[in-house]
Amino acid sequence: MRFFRSTFEQSIALLLALVIGSLIIVGIGENPIVAYATLLDGAFGSPQRIAGTLLQSTPIMIAGMAACVAFRSGLFNIGVEGQLYMGGFAAALIGFSLPLPWFLHLPLAMIVAVIAGAAWIAVPAFFRARYNANEVVSTILLNYVAVLLTSYFTIFLFKRPGGWSETPPILESSMLPTLFEFSRLNYGLFIGLALAVGLHFYFLRTVSGFESGTMGSNQRYAEYGGVNIRAKIFRMMLVSGAIGGLAGGVETLGVHHRFMEGFAPGFGFDGVIAALLANANPLLTVITALFFGMLRSGSLLLEVDTTMSREIITVLQALIILCVSAQVRIGRRGDATAGERRWKY
Amino acid sequence: MAETPYAIEMQGITKRFGKVVANRDITFAVRTGEVHAVIGENGAGKTTLMNILFGLLQPDEGTVKVAGEPVHLRSPKDAIRLGLGMVHQHFKLVPSLTAAENIFLGIEPQRYGLIDRDAAIAQVHALSERYGLRVEPTAIVRHLPVGIEQRIEILKVLVRGARIIILDEPTAVLTPQERRELFRILNGFVADGMTVIFISHHLEEVMEVSATTTVLRQGEVVDTRPTASLSKSELVRMMVGKDISFDRPAHAGKAGDPILEVSDLWARDDRGLKAVRDVSFEVRAHEIVGIAGVAGNGQGELAEVISGLRLPSHGAIRLNGTAIDAASPRAIRDIGLAHVPADRMERGVDRDAPIRLNMLMGRHHKAPWSRHGWLNSEAITATANDLVKRFDVRTDSVDRAVKTLSGGNIQKTVVAREFSQEANFLLVDQPTRGVDIGAMTEIHDEILRRREAGQAILLFSVQLDEILTLADRILVMFEGEIIGEVDPTTTTEEEIGLLMAGVRGDAAATQGSPGLPAGAA
Repeated sequence: MRFFRSTFEQSIALLLALVIGSLIIVGIGENPIVAYATLLDGAFGSPQRIAGTLLQSTPIMIAGMAACVAFRSGLFNIGVEGQLYMGGFAAALIGFSLPLPWFLHLPLAMIVAVIAGAAWIAVPAFFRARYNANEVVSTILLNYVAVLLTSYFTIFLFKRPGGWSETPPILESSMLPTLFEFSRLNYGLFIGLALAVGLHFYFLRTVSGFESGTMGSNQRYAEYGGVNIRAKIFRMMLVSGAIGGLAGGVETLGVHHRFMEGFAPGFGFDGVIAALLANANPLLTVITALFFGMLRSGSLLLEVDTTMSREIITVLQALIILCVSAQVRIGRRGDATAGERRWKY
Repeated sequence: MAETPYAIEMQGITKRFGKVVANRDITFAVRTGEVHAVIGENGAGKTTLMNILFGLLQPDEGTVKVAGEPVHLRSPKDAIRLGLGMVHQHFKLVPSLTAAENIFLGIEPQRYGLIDRDAAIAQVHALSERYGLRVEPTAIVRHLPVGIEQRIEILKVLVRGARIIILDEPTAVLTPQERRELFRILNGFVADGMTVIFISHHLEEVMEVSATTTVLRQGEVVDTRPTASLSKSELVRMMVGKDISFDRPAHAGKAGDPILEVSDLWARDDRGLKAVRDVSFEVRAHEIVGIAGVAGNGQGELAEVISGLRLPSHGAIRLNGTAIDAASPRAIRDIGLAHVPADRMERGVDRDAPIRLNMLMGRHHKAPWSRHGWLNSEAITATANDLVKRFDVRTDSVDRAVKTLSGGNIQKTVVAREFSQEANFLLVDQPTRGVDIGAMTEIHDEILRRREAGQAILLFSVQLDEILTLADRILVMFEGEIIGEVDPTTTTEEEIGLLMAGVRGDAAATQGSPGLPAGAA
């Protein structure tokens, strides 16, 4: 019941955002109905386009799962972008350098991506757990370090001979198989969906998940109830970072088959926002991630067919975030809070 | 303008936050040219009242008069215009600016449209001189001690033209020397015809500095009296409640073996100050030991240390013969602790989670409530339903969020969870704070039943009558120390009152008679 009610509320907010967005589009001198229709056509107009939408959604979804894990535990990992870059680079490194049979190569590349993501958050995690140092600042700052560091490695240490700033391509034995002939859409999508379902049950059904969620809701109560807060903070941040690394690994192994500069522009940030809009609920994060993926993939046709720039999508995204979060504030007065809802889905 | 001897009159002030009444029909007046103390325990409504006076909050009912004129204080700006100034408990200074820059922040003296630094510095010097508020105007605030920061806050208020100065718990962060200096400054203000309102919960200070005292308790004014006419024990009684009931239920069992042994225990509070000082005592089976004291004298820290939520700085604690001073909360629970925490919303529950999970917190990781790391919903719901019935928690379903319950029922949820643990030591902290009489009686009966069952109970309460009714022995805490032990069957309220005010046991025994002159310490 609540699920539908909150979905309804979100839809109203979404509608409001689209209305404001259309005013802006009118201001640019375009027809908003044509713009939105083009957007939808670009996202869903053919099997290829639908696959494109799912392809764009996959890294956002996995990054969103990384954010969910942290948010539910009361931690703010805003550094998913950085973990994603590290994971993506690490996967490429394994992918092009080790000739192994596929059943070893692919899992190894994924595991190394996971480890790279976890390693990238280890320092903020340690300082948060041990000294209560604010993890928002440290994880955000490490984003820039990760993006630039992987660029440096790519250009100066592992550059493919010839033009682009990218590593050599990974070996076929480390590639995530694609689902269709006509698209780069791959099994990464199922990794994202499986993670969402797994996290859903983790938080609702397991002792560890219950303790993590309780820590996120009332840390002093969790401590009183016997949760080892420091250890838990450290562990949950590592898990969050590890999933962030996985998002990058999937992108490298499934889509680009190499690491290149700027290979995943903003996917980590979009994942964080997708999780925020979904109230850190893993199942709802799937939906918000699909929505963001739709905007991204639809925007390509928008740029081709109209005079609008792809950047209009960023404006729409910002409007949606504003409206949905404002609605969360207004709609919750005297009603169930975000915290209560997490038990209802 | 009406002639009046009063600088401030507050009449019938009521302020509610939701269902909580922070101030109820408060009426009192402050004479011009005196130090007027407002005293009361934590949560008595002092700060709310002062925030209303300073325009930070609007009262639901009642009027405020300044110099006889009814005023409407919509914001602190209005209050400042009327000559009021407030020095907050937590200073609001910019650490990277100088003293003078902080003092004149927003009202900088100008010359040709530029900030006139020299004028600012000269004015700070002049005010410093006049009231003995020594401050170096060009010193960077970051490098200054707290006592000086407070002087800067006071100067901020003075340069904005305040003649009525409100100080909210001004001594909480000061050393004794800084405190003496502050009192000297306040006396200087009064000599100059200004009015000072001084908020505190420290009896000694109020006795020392104020001419008139208003006592608040649970949001209401108990009385306004000339300070000289009040004794410390009287003040304590007014602060913590005067109706002390000696209606003690019969106690059959004899105290058995020691369950909890605390020796030479020291601990610091969150600010790093010594909050528990050299505390030693034991609690035996079949025994309720009560810890009495004015709120904020180290009881909270002591309870946290015993339950593993705070590390002691020195000393030993043994529970059932096992050292627990470095053990985790979970380990201490496994050794035999059940703990009803003082603040149920902050420590005792996850308000958003369903009642059933709150009922099992702390043993949720054990069978049958979980197996191999998976929660067992059926077992949790069954146990929760059973507890809800046994402890009469009023709800239609254990799936409801805890916050849908009333305060008394939330407390009963916590009590149900803790009293149903397999533990032989109960740490019970403010078990009936903010609950109605019905729930209070039920909780008291439950505590007494635990004693009959042979458990050892350590009861913290700021409500004297609760401790007098339940405890077999009473230890009184004052400034982190156990200042004395009394027998609830033979003690007088004067005796406990004096101990709570910090007068040592031997002195209390010889001087513990009614009508004690003020400052008997």
